[in-house]
Amino acid sequence: MTAVENPAPRQEEAQTYRPSTLQRFLPFIIAAAVPFILGSTTGDLNFWWKASITVVVLAVVARLAWKWTPRGELTHREDMRLWRTPSDRSWAALTMFGLLVLPFILASDFTPPMGFPWATWFAVVNLVLIFAMGAAAFNLLVGYSGQISLAHVAFLALGSIVGGIVGVQWSGGNMWYALPAAAVAGAVVGAISGLPALRLKHLYLLLATFGFHFVMMLVWREYLQEYFGFVGIRFKGENSPRIASWLHWLPGIDPDQNGEFVITGQFRWYWVLMPITVLSILFMVNVVRTREGRAFAAVRDRDVSASLLGINVARSKLFAFALSSAIVSMSGVLASFYIGSRGEDSFNVQTVLNYAIIIVVGGFSSIQGAIFGSAFFWFLPEWFKWAREELWFVRDIDFLSDYPSEIDLAIKGFLVVVILMFKPDGLAGLWRDFKSWFSRALARSNP
Amino acid sequence: MLLAFGNFTADPSVNLQLLIGGLALGAIYAVVALGFVLVYKSTDVLNLAHGEFLMLGAYFALTFLISENLNFFLGVFVLLLVMLAFGLLVHYGIMRRMVGQGFFAIVLITLGIATIIRALLLIFYGPTERARLDLLPQGSFEIGGATVRYVDIIIFGVVAACVLLFFVFFKYTRLGLHMRAVADDIEAAAAMGIDPDKVYAMTWAAAMVMAGVGGLLFGHVTGAIDRSIEAIGLRAFPAAVVGGLTSLGGSIVGGLVVGVIEQFANGHLGTKWREPVAFSVMFVVLLVRPTGLWGRKDLERV
Repeated sequence: MTAVENPAPRQEEAQTYRPSTLQRFLPFIIAAAVPFILGSTTGDLNFWWKASITVVVLAVVARLAWKWTPRGELTHREDMRLWRTPSDRSWAALTMFGLLVLPFILASDFTPPMGFPWATWFAVVNLVLIFAMGAAAFNLLVGYSGQISLAHVAFLALGSIVGGIVGVQWSGGNMWYALPAAAVAGAVVGAISGLPALRLKHLYLLLATFGFHFVMMLVWREYLQEYFGFVGIRFKGENSPRIASWLHWLPGIDPDQNGEFVITGQFRWYWVLMPITVLSILFMVNVVRTREGRAFAAVRDRDVSASLLGINVARSKLFAFALSSAIVSMSGVLASFYIGSRGEDSFNVQTVLNYAIIIVVGGFSSIQGAIFGSAFFWFLPEWFKWAREELWFVRDIDFLSDYPSEIDLAIKGFLVVVILMFKPDGLAGLWRDFKSWFSRALARSNP
Repeated sequence: MLLAFGNFTADPSVNLQLLIGGLALGAIYAVVALGFVLVYKSTDVLNLAHGEFLMLGAYFALTFLISENLNFFLGVFVLLLVMLAFGLLVHYGIMRRMVGQGFFAIVLITLGIATIIRALLLIFYGPTERARLDLLPQGSFEIGGATVRYVDIIIFGVVAACVLLFFVFFKYTRLGLHMRAVADDIEAAAAMGIDPDKVYAMTWAAAMVMAGVGGLLFGHVTGAIDRSIEAIGLRAFPAAVVGGLTSLGGSIVGGLVVGVIEQFANGHLGTKWREPVAFSVMFVVLLVRPTGLWGRKDLERV
């Protein structure tokens, strides 16, 4: 009897981590930001307050990054964490720090060199927050769960309808009731609009959802004409959201003359939009990591195999639609109240195109990409405007200043084509490439 | 009431007028749907930019036939030649690199092309609307109290001729055979010595020429030529789907059916019901018979 040849058991390669590149440099980055922040607010009473925030955040970041550095092998639990590597954790901390400091920087009267637009940026940042939320939800549906849909603008309209009914007609500018109501309505209507997905795929699903878009547009126009006439719904002025009087003890809430705290102006809006956007994006990122989220990916890759693995395909698809639509509807409410009025042509086919541009430029099927994409989408016109007015080699080209918005549009379309042809992961992919290039370059220079 | 229904009229002449208007609209839809079908049939690409292609055709028709004041036949010839060149440009410049990419990426790239065309037309022609074309005979005659425009009959004839032409082309010519082979199975066709690249280029050129014809015809019946006429591309989707996205003859039947339904919805329920009704019809057809009335069924292997 011959001996059975056993192959040598495969040795699992132990994963060990060195401190990451960013982790090494993070203190320096933050230290470099400190004089900038402080310099921009000299003369401000909040000087010492901000200085101490900076120092505390710096200390906390360094401490946590050190504490959470995994040494030795990763357990499964560690491997499934939201921020797996020290680098991830450092980036998360840096982003949080940036988001907390950003409004103070933008509200200061700092004037950057060469007339770079600063005052208009606050509005742009707030729009980016709203759009990032909607685009991330769209990406969750289209990228992660592979259900092609063009109905997301319909859900923005649904958000506006719910905002109009609950927030304006029932409770006179109470956005806080409208938000959960829009989430519920979005989930229910989203699950209904997802029903064709049980039978149709790819192209046909795209067409069916596009049909849903037109039906929703009809509902929107009917609703508008029935209750508001042709001017559209007014979400600002007396309909602006406000903080209830029993919450006025909260820190940072300083009621106006008439004893009310109305959410108006970019600074206050930022503190409403930023937490909602960050929480909903974290929520989506977490959903992707759960069993449901992995089921999305399995259904996207091959629904028949997914059903053989014990995944309820119908449930998974409908859940993806409901989740995405709920969040898009909420962003629709936020957009309505932030922008202040929604009319007949607020939701046209160009809006559908805009969302497509955002997710393509940012990076298809990546939630991070949705954030990059919406930032790019809103900052591009600002940068372009600045370049037309200030940059000496652009300023003199009459052609550019004659057709500003058209050239914006052309650049966006051109970028979509170029990115899809040459770099399908978009800005998020470029960012990943840059990070890996940077760490490799660093590893080469000091091995 | 939210969903107020208009008053249904039993007046036969009104209904006849709606029917004729619907057939005229349907003929236009058929032209556009034919463009979708040509591209989808052989390259499996859903071309969302077809409305913009058509707008390009209409504006070029303005340039060549009105501004340059060329002879009608010479102008049409130049128009179609330019559109053909654009089709080759779209294929060799962009779509060629996208072969084998994911379905949605290709849909999005057509949206990108649409955006570029829209922006360029705005830059070069400006936002002002132009009067519609008036090169085809403008008169009309009456049948049973309903008006029929000569233009509609011409459009109808042109569409039928195009469908017939493509039918003969696909059935009896060598290149048509190649196109059908590539559409059926690109790898097997390539193994038999057919160059798919060339076939795709021909397809895009043909679709662009159809868009040129469509722009020329639609330019005669639209209210005015401006940037909003691209919407005809989206409005023709139900027609293409109802007829079946892989069927040439289906596009003409689908166009007529959807055009008539839309026109009746328009007349009896109001303008705002036009698109929802058309897309609902499409929706029902998709649920009952996803490949449309005459579409090719694809088997899916696990």
